[in-house]
Amino acid sequence: MARVFVSTVINAESSAVWERVRDFNGMPKWHPRIRDSRIEDALPSDKIGCIRNFHLQNGDMIREQLVGLSDYDLFYSYAMLEGPMPLWDYMATLRLTPVTDGARCFAEWSAEFDCDPDNQTDLQDGIATNVFQGGFDALKRHFGG
Amino acid sequence: MVKVVRSTILPAPVEAVWDVLRDFNGHDQWHPAIASSQIERHLPSDKVGCVRKFRLEDGAELREQLLALSDADLAYSYCLLDTPLPLFNYVSHVRLIPVTDVDHTYWQWEGHFDTQSGEREAMIDLVGAGIYDTGFSAIRNTLGLGG
Repeated sequence: MARVFVSTVINAESSAVWERVRDFNGMPKWHPRIRDSRIEDALPSDKIGCIRNFHLQNGDMIREQLVGLSDYDLFYSYAMLEGPMPLWDYMATLRLTPVTDGARCFAEWSAEFDCDPDNQTDLQDGIATNVFQGGFDALKRHFGG
Repeated sequence: MVKVVRSTILPAPVEAVWDVLRDFNGHDQWHPAIASSQIERHLPSDKVGCVRKFRLEDGAELREQLLALSDADLAYSYCLLDTPLPLFNYVSHVRLIPVTDVDHTYWQWEGHFDTQSGEREAMIDLVGAGIYDTGFSAIRNTLGLGG
């Protein structure tokens, strides 16, 4: 089982950051790598079990299923059902936590998956850098640091 | 049941912060409220179940028991056994998480407890500001991190 963990501090209240990332169908609005997204079967995007079907800027298609979402704990988890990467059993969680001694937000994005050992480092680096840190950098730019 | 959660970001790697926080018998070295600390029965301070006896700067004594300690999760939990304060069923959790993109540390300190009616706000302030926030500042000073 390979793990990826990326975290950062965003200069905004967690509630504001959550408002920006909560929509499971809203990645194109804030993540620069995502071109378009739709929820299959016309389900609401906060219905647990719904599937988002989206394209990266390079045209690759990915399907991911929402497995958990909490407005109380500020996190959501999802599983990858289909995608171009040579991995399986991919499960990821995006989580926000307030930093109480300032109007800041601690953000964590983690994933676990299985893959061929030969591909593991490349996959971990790619997910950490392009998907997770890339998303955090965009949020930090949006919220001014 | 009252829940108090405080958190901060320290501009230091988690390893450096954990190195200081991990010692269940070392809080008298950095927390200004604690005059002295000793582990009962000469147990090692990382033995889960060990009891530390604090003497506070005001002379009061309290005893706390280590309930969990994890070097993998950079976390520990403890409970209050004896205290002169109206804090009952007090359990506290300390946890460090790396801020990976700048190699800093997220530090969360939380407590759950019961108290007497009329003491609720005073105990929330004592635990949240007097113990947790004061501890954050003290560790900043100990590690030379400034502000």
